[in-house]
Amino acid sequence: MNPDFERVHAGLPLGDVEIIDVHAHMGPYYNMHIPARDPARMVRIMDLCGIAKTVLSPSLSWDTDLVFANDLMRLAVAAHPGRLYGACAVSGNFPELSAAELERCFADPAVKMIKVHPAVSKCRLDDKRMNGIYEFAARRKSCILAHTWLDNDPYGNMDLFAGVAKNHPDIAWIMGHSGGPYGSRHAAELAAEVPNVYLDLTLSMCPARQVEFFVKEIGSERVMFGTDHPFLDPRPQVGRVALADISADDKANIFGKNARRLISFE
Amino acid sequence: MDKLKFFDANCSVGRTGNPHLYDIPDAAGLKREMEAAGVEEALVYHVIARDADPRLGNSRLMHEIQDYPELHPVWAVFPHHTGEMPPPSKLLPEMKALGVRAVRMFPTKALQSFSLADWCAGELLSALEWGRVPLILDAEVIPWEEVRGLLATYPRLPIVIANCNYRQNRFLYPLFEKFTNLFVELSWFMGGGAVEDVVQRFGSRPLLFGTNMPRYTGTAAVGLLCYADIDRKDKEAIAGGNLRQILGKVWP
Repeated sequence: MNPDFERVHAGLPLGDVEIIDVHAHMGPYYNMHIPARDPARMVRIMDLCGIAKTVLSPSLSWDTDLVFANDLMRLAVAAHPGRLYGACAVSGNFPELSAAELERCFADPAVKMIKVHPAVSKCRLDDKRMNGIYEFAARRKSCILAHTWLDNDPYGNMDLFAGVAKNHPDIAWIMGHSGGPYGSRHAAELAAEVPNVYLDLTLSMCPARQVEFFVKEIGSERVMFGTDHPFLDPRPQVGRVALADISADDKANIFGKNARRLISFE
Repeated sequence: MDKLKFFDANCSVGRTGNPHLYDIPDAAGLKREMEAAGVEEALVYHVIARDADPRLGNSRLMHEIQDYPELHPVWAVFPHHTGEMPPPSKLLPEMKALGVRAVRMFPTKALQSFSLADWCAGELLSALEWGRVPLILDAEVIPWEEVRGLLATYPRLPIVIANCNYRQNRFLYPLFEKFTNLFVELSWFMGGGAVEDVVQRFGSRPLLFGTNMPRYTGTAAVGLLCYADIDRKDKEAIAGGNLRQILGKVWP
């Protein structure tokens, strides 16, 4: 019997493990109704399932004004100190603006990461306009979370992601969604090859035994807990890691220790 | 507090040609996944019935699950006009005799190439409505306008939308307002706060627990419902009570 089985089924937070969500968002998005999109309701849901901290980037940044979006992110983070942290959203389409945004947002100690979305911005991860972002990340020792989805994304597919990560070994790269539900095998192969690549569990449809597969293939030290909250409810992700057939140490790594190693929350 | 008794509305058996990670082809494998998640019962269809031939797949299904009373058969069906499927007058008694209390249909050119319109599927849909046999349809392939038409035309036919992703509320909510024969299965319906929002607006009636095991994990949907901020009675209804109620009304 999985030692967390009874607590999950009783609807109780796990208690003895810190859960840090490194892949979340905030605010509205054009093609969906998000019932609990405001930060206060997000924190309420975090409380219900025992998520201690969440690092979020603003959804508006991808299709509209990244400055306005980062403002919203910073307001949310400021309203929930110690619970919500920021991922500064930037884009190679705006290299100078992104450089300024990084300086501005990282002046706030609650901003901890960088988020890029190549597929929506339609700026390739290896576009030279991205270099300023990568230089900043290396200098500030910030990890970068990049959206990846399947092999046919010309802007941020998994091979492109791994190639850029290999060229920037000083940066910890979180492979958002690990390439999607059909990308798990290739994601694990790339992570095995490139040591500064971390796999993200965020998915809306989660392949059976994916958590166990990643742990077996690359070890739990490079598997990150992420949720897409509030696009997606984070509670399914808590359930699937807690009920995975892996050791307590592996769960602790995935739920929070890995995030602690990559991000200083002090 | 006792554990919720989960009755999954969306499971399958049979080998798929493109598994994500692991080959889980049989009922024993499905059972292992159910036990890991803590799911007690499931409605199950056969992959061959979806991806090859309904009659062949339905037959394989009955053989595959015969030793698992907690797995309940769901047949894939389509209209009888080509002779591949018996007419409703024979099909429904056969289903009743074999304990089949739910069906799936895979219409559209992209799947099993038939229409849900009256001229094609009307006779079958009317028969299913007479039997109160729930019809499970995948959201990805059925336009919402067509779902709306079915709900209005067959008001006593329970229609379960399976694999309904989290971006559908703007379609779903107006339908929930108008039709009490519409149900949504939870495996992909995982928007932030969606369960609480639906329960607050419409009650727990329209939601059915589901996972899409063994292709996908059942642990995610279990986590969603166990940690939901709703009353215990609503959790029980969604976990399995609603589905048991629907199935209890089959063959009036």
